[in-house]
Amino acid sequence: MQKYILKRLITALLTLLVITFLLFWLVRIMPGNPFPSERMTDEAIAAKRAEMGLDDPILTQFVRYMKNVLKGDFGKGTSLYYGAPIHTVLNKAIQNSFRIGGIAILLGTFVGLVLGIVAALNRDRFWDVFCSVFSILGVCVPSYVFLIFLQYTFAYKLTLLPYFFDSTQFLKSSVIPALSLSLFTMSTIARFTRNEMIEVTDSDYVLLAEAKGMYGYKLVTKHVLRNALIPIVTVLAPLIVDLLTGALVVEKIYGIQGIGKLMVDAISGEGIDYNYVLALGILYSAMYIGIMLVVDLLYGLLDPRIRISAKGGD
Amino acid sequence: MKMTKKLFAILCAMILATGLLACAAPAPSGNSGADDAAPAADSGAAKSIGVMLSTNVMSLDSNLATDGDSFEVIADCIDGLTQMDADGAAIPALAESWDVSEDGMTWTFHLRDAKWSNGDPVTANDFVFAWKTAMTANVEYGYMFDSSVGCVKNADEIMYEGADPDTLGVSAPDEKTLVVELIAPVSFFDSLMYFPTFYPLNEKFYTECGDSYGTSPETFLSNGAYVLADYTPGTSSLSVKKNPDYWNADKVTIDTIKYQVVGSSDNALTAFKSGTLDLVMISGSQVPAAKDDADLSSKIKVTGAGYMWYLSFSQTEANANGGQLANTNLRLAFTNAIDRESLVENYVMDGSLPTYTCVPPQFAASATTGEDFSKDQEKFKDVCSFDTAKAQEYFEKAKEELGVDSFEFTMIYGNNEGDEVQKVAQAIKEQIEGVLPGVTLNLQAMSKAERLDKMQNDNYDVALTRWGPDYADPMTYLGMWITDNANNYGFWSNADYDQLIEDCTTGAYINDYEARWNALYEAETIAMNEAVIAPLYTKASANLISDKLQGVEFHPVALNRVYKNAKVAD
Repeated sequence: MQKYILKRLITALLTLLVITFLLFWLVRIMPGNPFPSERMTDEAIAAKRAEMGLDDPILTQFVRYMKNVLKGDFGKGTSLYYGAPIHTVLNKAIQNSFRIGGIAILLGTFVGLVLGIVAALNRDRFWDVFCSVFSILGVCVPSYVFLIFLQYTFAYKLTLLPYFFDSTQFLKSSVIPALSLSLFTMSTIARFTRNEMIEVTDSDYVLLAEAKGMYGYKLVTKHVLRNALIPIVTVLAPLIVDLLTGALVVEKIYGIQGIGKLMVDAISGEGIDYNYVLALGILYSAMYIGIMLVVDLLYGLLDPRIRISAKGGD
Repeated sequence: MKMTKKLFAILCAMILATGLLACAAPAPSGNSGADDAAPAADSGAAKSIGVMLSTNVMSLDSNLATDGDSFEVIADCIDGLTQMDADGAAIPALAESWDVSEDGMTWTFHLRDAKWSNGDPVTANDFVFAWKTAMTANVEYGYMFDSSVGCVKNADEIMYEGADPDTLGVSAPDEKTLVVELIAPVSFFDSLMYFPTFYPLNEKFYTECGDSYGTSPETFLSNGAYVLADYTPGTSSLSVKKNPDYWNADKVTIDTIKYQVVGSSDNALTAFKSGTLDLVMISGSQVPAAKDDADLSSKIKVTGAGYMWYLSFSQTEANANGGQLANTNLRLAFTNAIDRESLVENYVMDGSLPTYTCVPPQFAASATTGEDFSKDQEKFKDVCSFDTAKAQEYFEKAKEELGVDSFEFTMIYGNNEGDEVQKVAQAIKEQIEGVLPGVTLNLQAMSKAERLDKMQNDNYDVALTRWGPDYADPMTYLGMWITDNANNYGFWSNADYDQLIEDCTTGAYINDYEARWNALYEAETIAMNEAVIAPLYTKASANLISDKLQGVEFHPVALNRVYKNAKVAD
């Protein structure tokens, strides 16, 4: 098992390194220069390029960049928030995004689970149909559309909640973005839970357990839910990443100073900000790779068969 | 099975409850201080307004800031030597008065008693320090010190030849006197002083903060009407509150200005209707509906945004099919084929002005007569108007001179420069192709950065571009088209024109205001006769202002919105 973990860890780190290099190279071959100014003289632009070491060979630049990144220094923005070190801006953005994203994930997972379980236990009845319709809607309606709906209803019409995100009222202003972000997770989890529960309920071992006289709460939690949860964990992981990385438009519309909005600003401003795009790219990739790694390991814990096959594979 | 149902109802309720609790749990950690502060922000009878920003504040360091939104917030908090009155003229701010030597080359400013928000007095040295720092730090607007604009002694040598910043022609004989030496008289030097590039910096504080200067209320000093209350780089909302120690604090009646970055004009409109914001900008396409809305129509205020949109033509052999656009008649044909009235009425729709002069109206008035330099929009009607017959006449001449019957060009424009730009580009294509049969104008959209890159590297035919005035003098436009200027994207060159501009900046006309003004007009005539560019329209902003907010001053140049004299109605 240790060897398996180690192997996975090394693969994850190598993947991250390759992605970082690709990003590093890609932002440099994009059209336009990193200082899109009509007032800077050619000499000033050349001085700026030299200061950033943009004229050195790409590998030299990359090694220097990675050395700084390992020290926690992502440099400064080239066209965004000049002067402020990126890690300070990023810290604040990560806090906001993770808090709102965290609320959305918890909300989405719990409500999704409940809906799925209720639907499975009431197969082909009202709650099942309700759950299906809800899931389809939740998957089809983009989160920002739902956000605009909530913003219009609760902030504009009913004036119960702030119209824009306000860091001085964190809880109140998290409701609208967290709800809209959780919708997709909620629907996906509900649909999966329902299907998995039904499959497990129909299986022979549940039939056997019922024949042995086990029923109700014990049967559902001990046999049905536990087995149904395994595939759900696999779905949940990419959902978490999607949610954290997919908050771009929601953050932009609701004015949340989060990583999604930062990414939009970094690529849609007057110039593409090399350093922000890179720092965020590394962050997103690290999140994705990290979560996938955790899931792989967790999966092994939940399902003994995977551990065995991993061993066998070695 | 009934038992199962009951059990599950309980289970569901428990999960839901845990879920809700969990939702509440993470938020207070690390943010408790901010949460506690919430009620205080809205309490009392403090007069507060909400204002929309269209982009994030990029920097609060006057040496690094380059965008209008940053300038606005800086100017809320820091005063310069002068400030703008409602009409844009320079009136005393930190300088109580000033004297100009007879030759116009030495300006002596007498400072009033004013304090920084840490209690330090504002001294002449704060200006000396800020200006000398700008020589190396202000890569974008440093040029406002050089011989093309401010003419401060030795600025060119320091910025372009590496001379010692200490040789800059600015000194502080005593704490309250600032002496500026120029290399040529600059009649509008007092009005340059309200531009944030010329604002003071507290040397000790600025040096101590280093890179973190201007990144939080703790690392920022005010001497102006407001102090920074809430700000982090990248934030979508920030606020400033009234500075009780401001030298003119009695005149400031608004206690708090809350700024909110709003990305879309639809969102801005709803936020305005909801009362969250008191001042927002809407897009031209929203104006007709707002005019029809009984509630909104009285709240619309159209103000000059300053910048002029124009067509730039590459006139080198490297482009435009071997340099066809170097043909003056062809450019004149284009200029006269464009229906500017239709562009602003049907596509821009926000009150922008059709423009037929290469110095746009509304920002540069004569110091002697007070008349707008470009008030008369018909002065070049022989060479720039919407006249299809004339356009075709020029076109025939061009075809003859170039010996071809059909032309194909590509027009580049930015896809991140405003909602209307795409529509305007499409309309120009249709108008030109409609009036001049044989011309094909392909459209190519790209980011503004890429558009600039192509223009700067002479890798385009025609570009839809814009320029905003940095200071209230026609030279902010006319200075662009001298030979080898970095903003001369057409790579046009005319010796007479160059001579006239030189005479106006450092030569024959510098001591004769009238003669200089006339020479500028002469230079503009040359540029228009040769259709160096095709002016299109002078952009306006369509604002919505709530009834409670009165007296905000709008300017097309330097600071777009000033709140010092604004009031909140009771």
